Amino acid sequence: MSDAHTTNRLTLGDALRALPTLAPERDGWPALAATLAPRRPTPRHAWPLALAACALLVALSALGWRERMRAPATPAATVAHAAASSVMNGTATTATSNTPTLAQLQQRSRALERWLRQTGGDATPLPGQDLAAATEIENLIGLTDVELAAPRQTHALALWQRRVALLEDLAALRYSNYRLAAGGLAVASTQVD
Amino acid sequence: MTTSSFQIEVPADLLARARGGDAAAFEAIYRCFERPAYTLALRMLGDADAARDTLHDAMLKVFRRIAQFRNEAPFWAWLRQIVSNEALMRLRRHEPPASDLDAEEIVDIAPPPWVVADARTLERALARLPALTRSVLWLYHVEGYTHPQIAAAVGKTTSFSKSQLARGTARLRALLDPPMETEPCLMRTPQTG
Repeated sequence: MSDAHTTNRLTLGDALRALPTLAPERDGWPALAATLAPRRPTPRHAWPLALAACALLVALSALGWRERMRAPATPAATVAHAAASSVMNGTATTATSNTPTLAQLQQRSRALERWLRQTGGDATPLPGQDLAAATEIENLIGLTDVELAAPRQTHALALWQRRVALLEDLAALRYSNYRLAAGGLAVASTQVD
Repeated sequence: MTTSSFQIEVPADLLARARGGDAAAFEAIYRCFERPAYTLALRMLGDADAARDTLHDAMLKVFRRIAQFRNEAPFWAWLRQIVSNEALMRLRRHEPPASDLDAEEIVDIAPPPWVVADARTLERALARLPALTRSVLWLYHVEGYTHPQIAAAVGKTTSFSKSQLARGTARLRALLDPPMETEPCLMRTPQTG
């Protein structure tokens, strides 16, 4: 590379670094602080919510996936586990004769997102390992969304399958957490009694 | 050698308090990095609203994952990585894919115009670059990323990063120093006698 080229590059770097740093027009801290507000510790009345969440998740799995799953309703965690494994193996869940349609996948995706949103506010904080897994899944969902946003999408079905599988995985994590919370409470109450 | 505005040392006790969920510690860290994070997002995305959202989302991730920070790298570098990833993620959602360009096609030999350009002019020219090109330019020159690091961050090859840098440099030069009209000047010949 020529000296002139190097000099130009360095000079541009100097000029860019000399530009002032900027601050947002509105203070973003209050909104962030509100989002970060400490999550309530698991209350003693968490078990009805846990039960409701489990029931909803099982119902969603049974209803939404009925056409794919000919077998009797499978526990949600197992469904999510299978879906997660397929994603980990790099093979989106490909069905044979029971491939869900794009509309079905989108509907299922919406339902799962709604459930995650509804339970998110009252969720027990995830333990470290689960939190890392949840973050990773959220990132993968983000990447899938990026791919889905690409123009002239030709793999929409596979991408939506992957998205649903990831959401199921996330839901399974949350579900396990609820289950543990409910179990913990049960143990605690047993000990107290 | 770069002097990124992110290079702020965070005291260990402040980090420890933030890890423990102390809201005041969160705010102190937020105030430290608000400007560098917003500036990086704004320079990459070229849109104030998107930059504000990126700042919010990135800081949220930082505080939610702060327990996972291992002290293997400086805290500021970890935070900067999250901000740039968040901005790139947003960029991929909205920016049409950039085409590759041979880095050797462009050779800059003329004196650099950014030496004489004032900050406002340089900012205006920078804003007219494609977002991904501008991001590469900024990450390379201001944040001190290497080409392999940029390539990994944007999910492209090293030669892509180099070509974007060359393209951005040439484009910036053209924007700051538009070619002179080729129309010859008519000069009066002084009358003698």
